[in-house]
Amino acid sequence: MRSSTVGWLFLAPTLVILFIFGVLPFLYVLVIGFTQWNSFAADPTMQYNGVENFRRLVFDEQFLYSLWLTLKFGFFAVTSQILLGYFLAQLFMRDFPGKGFFRTIHTLPLVIAPIAVGATWRLMLVPGLGPIPYYLRQWFGYDLNISRYVDQAFLATVVMDVWHWTPLVTLTMLAALASLPKEPFEQAQIDGANRFQIFWHVTLPLLKPAILATVFIRLMDALRTVDEVWMLTGGGPGAATRYIGLHIWRVVFPKTDYGYGSSMSLITLYLTIVMCWLLYAGLVARRDLKRVD
Amino acid sequence: MAPVTLKDVKKRYGTVQVIHGVSVDIQDGEFVILVGPSGCGKSTLLRMIAGLEEISGGEVSIGGRVVNDKPPKDRDIAMVFQNYALYPHMNVADNMSFSLRLKGVPKAEIDQKVKRAASILALDKLLDRLPKQLSGGQRQRVAMGRAIVRDPQVFLFDEPLSNLDAKLRVQMRVEIKELHQRLKTTTIYVTHDQIEAMTMADKIVVMHDGIVEQTGAPLDLYDRPANLFVAGFIGSPAMNFIDGTLTTRTGAPAVVTADGIALPLARMPTGGTEGQTVVYGVRPEHIALGDGGQKAIVSVTEPTGSETQVFMKLGEAPVVGVFRERVTVAPGQPLAIRPDPAQTHVFDKVSGRRL
Ligand SMILES: Nc1ncnc2c1ncn2[C@@H]1O[C@H](COP(=O)(O)OP(=O)(O)OP(=O)(O)O)[C@@H](O)[C@H]1O
Ligand SMILES: [Mg+2]
Repeated sequence: MRSSTVGWLFLAPTLVILFIFGVLPFLYVLVIGFTQWNSFAADPTMQYNGVENFRRLVFDEQFLYSLWLTLKFGFFAVTSQILLGYFLAQLFMRDFPGKGFFRTIHTLPLVIAPIAVGATWRLMLVPGLGPIPYYLRQWFGYDLNISRYVDQAFLATVVMDVWHWTPLVTLTMLAALASLPKEPFEQAQIDGANRFQIFWHVTLPLLKPAILATVFIRLMDALRTVDEVWMLTGGGPGAATRYIGLHIWRVVFPKTDYGYGSSMSLITLYLTIVMCWLLYAGLVARRDLKRVD
Repeated sequence: MAPVTLKDVKKRYGTVQVIHGVSVDIQDGEFVILVGPSGCGKSTLLRMIAGLEEISGGEVSIGGRVVNDKPPKDRDIAMVFQNYALYPHMNVADNMSFSLRLKGVPKAEIDQKVKRAASILALDKLLDRLPKQLSGGQRQRVAMGRAIVRDPQVFLFDEPLSNLDAKLRVQMRVEIKELHQRLKTTTIYVTHDQIEAMTMADKIVVMHDGIVEQTGAPLDLYDRPANLFVAGFIGSPAMNFIDGTLTTRTGAPAVVTADGIALPLARMPTGGTEGQTVVYGVRPEHIALGDGGQKAIVSVTEPTGSETQVFMKLGEAPVVGVFRERVTVAPGQPLAIRPDPAQTHVFDKVSGRRL
């Protein structure tokens, strides 16, 4: 076809950039993942060592614990974001005074850099300095200390992530809600459905594609959170909030174990893909399969 | 089954009023058709009866109960929307059975009802399809099916046949009538197709710009239209209107046009006065051929086989005639026509009212 050369030419810049910044680094990590390469080791040069890194990973309790923490973090953060985001989107579908103003300020967290979000929350929450622990103690006698209590630190990171990213969910839900046809909802009223039945049988199924897409995006994002948490808790107390991104960072940079860190990245990527695939298969494909029989 | 009463119902969207006080009495089991041109407020009125549109004024009652503040689900109605409103994520069978499933009807009974509706509507083979895999006409039939699997107090139909081909439309018309005769459910049916209205209705409500122009049995509207609008709307081809003045000076009562042509009337209309400017109306099918009538100049003839439509000029006024005879007059040639004086209508030119 005559036009295909032109088409490829138009695509070329994008493809080149994608290749240089996307594919090449990935291939590089892929290679390093199969090597022993640590500048502090007896032999600091890069040595091919097959699947040794991966074998080590399977029994690395710190890695597995971090992975588990990350999943827990992702689950709580994304679930709360979806619920809260849907609720806010429904709120913004209605008219109330000051709606435009609220909608605008509510999206502000989205434009703040994660490192700044982490810094802000740290300033508010850090024991002995932050206003929140101070007033909680003054007014309620509650002892909030994210550098001592494991659960509080975990919860603080979840709340921070929810604060930061719920607006994204709200915006996608809002767009999805606004684009829904109104007729099926009227028909459902005629068919005698109450509000909950309409939500369950009409709204939810119609929103499902949007919800799933949002869950995937948010989940993948949450699983690689680094800077916010690093700023807020530094992964502590102990390893209580050392999510996988932070863990890999520690292995690769302070410890300079490049080969091992790369293999962790690869496994994490693989697990993320598998998880999203399972979610997709479980929520979307299975129902379609059921349809057939 | 229930009577439906509209008492001075009004609808405003902000400052725009689209329904200006509509009152209609619908008996238990009656088949009532709302007709009117596009944008006259038929759908809006129907949606107010259904409870989907807030009622700005007046009263709607179903079964003797004022339902102004009742939500749709408490009104026990089934409705077919103009744009189908199928659930996009449910297949045909699920679409049809949704209301029954909500009510907790046993599965066997649901299956049986859906099967029966599907066979009436020729949807048997499509039960597993999603709405997006159906044609417009098929979707419309699913929407019909969704209404007929239920046993509501009132059926509301909003132009349910508008997307069907001519053959299917006639067939569905018969199906709907039969369904009504069998179930005897009060039905309110919106259409802008006056043939549909004439053939199906027990009672027709003619609407125009948010008001009711006339209410009555189909043949009453045909025989005695209350005003120019109804006269022009009911009947196809539409009634011929010729401006003129009322006079008895020629000996017998007649309407004389500006060209001096006298169109005889059977009698002086009650309330008509000598010299009054009026509109003379006669239906195309009430014009006969024959000598001794008026000379009209033929412009176009359209033979359909069973009859011939002839477009003519009577003086300056365009006139259409429908004749059982085969008319073979060349365009430009005169044709002698005789409107049946007993079948003529006279309307006041200013108010448009029947005299
Ligand atoms: N939400 C709205 N806001 C303002 N005006 C509206 C609204 N909905 C309908 N209208 C107006 O109300 C009038 C009646 O509309 P409606 O849909 O009832 O017409 P209809 O008789 O059903 O016409 P059709 O035969 O084309 O379906 C129209 O003039 C329309 O412009
Ligand atoms: Mg309409």
